[in-house]
Amino acid sequence: MKADQAPRYFGARVSRRQDDRLLRGDGRYVADIKPAGVLAAKFMRSHQAHAAVTSIDIDAAGASEGVRAVFVGGDFADHEIRCVSSYAAFQESAQPILAVDRVRHVGEALIMVVAEDEYLAEDASELVVADLDPLPAAVNIDAALAVGFAPLHPGWRHNAFVRRQVKTYGFDDASSSAPHRVAIELHNGRHSGIPMENRACIAEHDRGTGQFRLHTTTQIPHLVRAGLSWALGVPESLIQVIAPDVGGGFGVKAQLYPEEVACCLAARQLGRPVKWVEDRREHFVAAHHSREHRHKVTGYFDNDGTILALQADIAVDMGAYSVFPWTATMDGGMAMGILPGPYRIREYSVASMSVCTNKTPYGAYRGVARPAACFSIERLMDQIARHLGVDRVEIRNRNLLTDGDYPWRSPSGLVYDSGSLIESLDAVVDLADLEGLLKCQADARAAGRLVGVGLAVFTEQTAHTTQEFKQRGVPIVFGYETAKVRLDASGTAVVSASIHDHGQGLETTLAQIAADRLGLDLEQVRVTYGDTEQVAYGAGTFASRSAVLAGGAVIRAADAVADTLREVAAHILEAAPEDMVVETGRVSVAGSPSQFIETSELCRLIYQRPERLPDGVEPRLEASRTYDAHPGTGAYTNAAHLASVEIDPLTGKTRVLSYAVVEDCGPMINPTIVEGQIFGGVAQGIGTALFEEFLYDEVGQPLSTTFADYLVPVMSDIPDFRVAHLQTPSPHTIGGLKGMGEGGAIAPGAVIASAVEDALSHLGAVTVDRLPLTPERVLGYIDAANSNGASA
Amino acid sequence: MAEISLIVNGEPAIAQVDPRTLLSDFLRDDLGLTGTHVGCEHGYCGACTVLVDGASARSCLMLAIQADARSVETVESLSANGAGLHPIQQAFKDCHGLQCGFCTPGLLMSVVELAATNPGCGRDEIREHLSGNVCRCTGYHHIVDAVERALNGAPGRADES
Repeated sequence: MKADQAPRYFGARVSRRQDDRLLRGDGRYVADIKPAGVLAAKFMRSHQAHAAVTSIDIDAAGASEGVRAVFVGGDFADHEIRCVSSYAAFQESAQPILAVDRVRHVGEALIMVVAEDEYLAEDASELVVADLDPLPAAVNIDAALAVGFAPLHPGWRHNAFVRRQVKTYGFDDASSSAPHRVAIELHNGRHSGIPMENRACIAEHDRGTGQFRLHTTTQIPHLVRAGLSWALGVPESLIQVIAPDVGGGFGVKAQLYPEEVACCLAARQLGRPVKWVEDRREHFVAAHHSREHRHKVTGYFDNDGTILALQADIAVDMGAYSVFPWTATMDGGMAMGILPGPYRIREYSVASMSVCTNKTPYGAYRGVARPAACFSIERLMDQIARHLGVDRVEIRNRNLLTDGDYPWRSPSGLVYDSGSLIESLDAVVDLADLEGLLKCQADARAAGRLVGVGLAVFTEQTAHTTQEFKQRGVPIVFGYETAKVRLDASGTAVVSASIHDHGQGLETTLAQIAADRLGLDLEQVRVTYGDTEQVAYGAGTFASRSAVLAGGAVIRAADAVADTLREVAAHILEAAPEDMVVETGRVSVAGSPSQFIETSELCRLIYQRPERLPDGVEPRLEASRTYDAHPGTGAYTNAAHLASVEIDPLTGKTRVLSYAVVEDCGPMINPTIVEGQIFGGVAQGIGTALFEEFLYDEVGQPLSTTFADYLVPVMSDIPDFRVAHLQTPSPHTIGGLKGMGEGGAIAPGAVIASAVEDALSHLGAVTVDRLPLTPERVLGYIDAANSNGASA
Repeated sequence: MAEISLIVNGEPAIAQVDPRTLLSDFLRDDLGLTGTHVGCEHGYCGACTVLVDGASARSCLMLAIQADARSVETVESLSANGAGLHPIQQAFKDCHGLQCGFCTPGLLMSVVELAATNPGCGRDEIREHLSGNVCRCTGYHHIVDAVERALNGAPGRADES
């Protein structure tokens, strides 16, 4: 699929189409939308981790000024959210829209007050009295699995949604004959994407037609429509979901939430639009959490550090319910698959468990399980290096996959299509000036300071489709994306795509692609998305897939439109269609550039002068195409990260001094946007590494419910970044494109942990095994290093 | 209800407000200035930053009645309808200083204040000054590029190719 002329926009650092409106304050986010007659909803939530609902008194709330309705669990008891995995022995949960007789996490919605405005709804919600009779709470993985702890859902045998186990045929032999082994246990704190825009939705119901319209802060409008259809018992043709401008997603907005269902039900019952805007405190306890993994990992290796076998025991704290559309298996399954990472590991034994606890349900966050998997395998590599006294770069070079290994079938069954692992590691060593950093470290140590250098290498499965998702046991297989390209009579184009842009810049990158294929100026292409009535069915934006899949669909659709241009131009110019060339602003005869017709004139003729069309050509310049990046096993981006840190020995505070990334995501549509995605991901990863954690007390009370308790990186926490690119095309995708939206967030936990361990290495051996590296934890590592050093 | 009289983006405004109405809600709901975004309602994230008598303020921590007889500027003041982007906005566009755009209006208002009070500051100072505006998308690097360019005319990375 080659365009007729060299690209003008593909690969160019063009500025973004959406920026003007966002910069002027003209963005249109859900909270900005105010339909006539709209009512405000407020949810009262459980303050207990696990409790029986004994009584609810809503009389005073119902009589409060401006209140139009107060709903309790029983009102919506015919509706629920279920997301059932096809894995054997998966235990199902039913997430109520409003809790009925049992609450299973702090923050679970219990009561919905609907009033004339938000202030009145909040007033009334304070008058609700809910009696909750506490039950023992499963506050962590071990508590939930303790012998004798009652299952959290009816009919369950134990508190795991699912347990799975895989072992390669040769694992036992390889592990038992290995001369060395190292075992570590690693903990990742519970945290989440924390977009700056909280969730919000506005539900409307048309009594005349029976149609619902839901504006909502989602990354996945069609999947929300599918989930609503199931939860409401209404066909999809009667549901319109619109995601307008969305203020960041990061995965946390890639789920169906009970509040969306509740607002639809309330709007239908009340005959007026119902709007809910989440506040930040709710977001911390009710928007889905992520990342809480515990991995026990053992590496078996020979005398030169070559890994012979890998064993892993994975447990993920999935919270109270299986979420739609991911199920409660996603993180555990992803970690099983990707844990061997970029290394030539052939023998693998892994067990994975998705545990149900009395915490906020667990959904997607940028990287899904890969940050934890990267943390585990990279921490293991560092321990192997230390065990053998081999340099950390060298131990990786001995084990990384090389060109001759691709396509590489990993021991978990993933098919890595391509990569540049050793090249990226070499390049990041240069880019970061490792030699210079080590010299600075030596100088710093001589001055009594704690400075360390850390690194990590990873491979990122992106743009995986049908083949991958059918193995994951999810109820909806996320395969393809669809795009429609339409040229109108004025010679300008509209691209309608099934993805969503909430910061990734697809509104620009898809326009770059279409403009090139149709010979248009970028300003002549408008990209639309987000409204299920306006765009074809598709999964939406998550999993580093939109540029590849929607990009491929746009190329196909634009090329089909270009074919019509060529056919009609050939007819008008009395030439052969195969001789026609789509150039900038015109369609000409190959080799005879004076014979041409301007594209805008051609478009006008096609729509407005149908008598000039050749027989059999419809007066229409539009095409819809679907693309699934066959074979669907994914295009593998890879990267190497290298950072330096300094620890304050008195406070334990870790500061990132420098951070360098070499990323290979194949050909880049817009390098500036790629870099923005990398930087954003790395900053979130530094949050993972140093700051972010939803802490709970011993009875399941969340302790991190404001930005004063849950710290996100601010500008002064983050250094300037250095970035460089390699561009190894994928053999699987149109244009060789690979996804990269998540990658930045995958490695920083591993990198910073490696750096902190390195910073303490001259004091004594210590294994940094827990994220985030809060000052308190780092002080513990300093003490351990000092005491290990003293006893050594 | 209380009557307030203030200047918003250079235009006089007189309104009846409930004394408990937040300035952010007043701007958004009563005046329709939805460019001011609310990200946390506890004064941390900075998305709702506006200028009150030229100084940055969290409009989620301020009551509308506290703005009585004062001058409030929101992001909508930076480039009137149809006019070109303000130089700070243009720098953000040129340097890819925004992604989802939700934190952007508040950040821009903080930069307006910075440009007025400390126009000569370098990258580290920029990071310190703007640490009250949380951005979750950009990782800040391109924002610092943009602010550096807006303040000093320094070229940002996004120009390189």
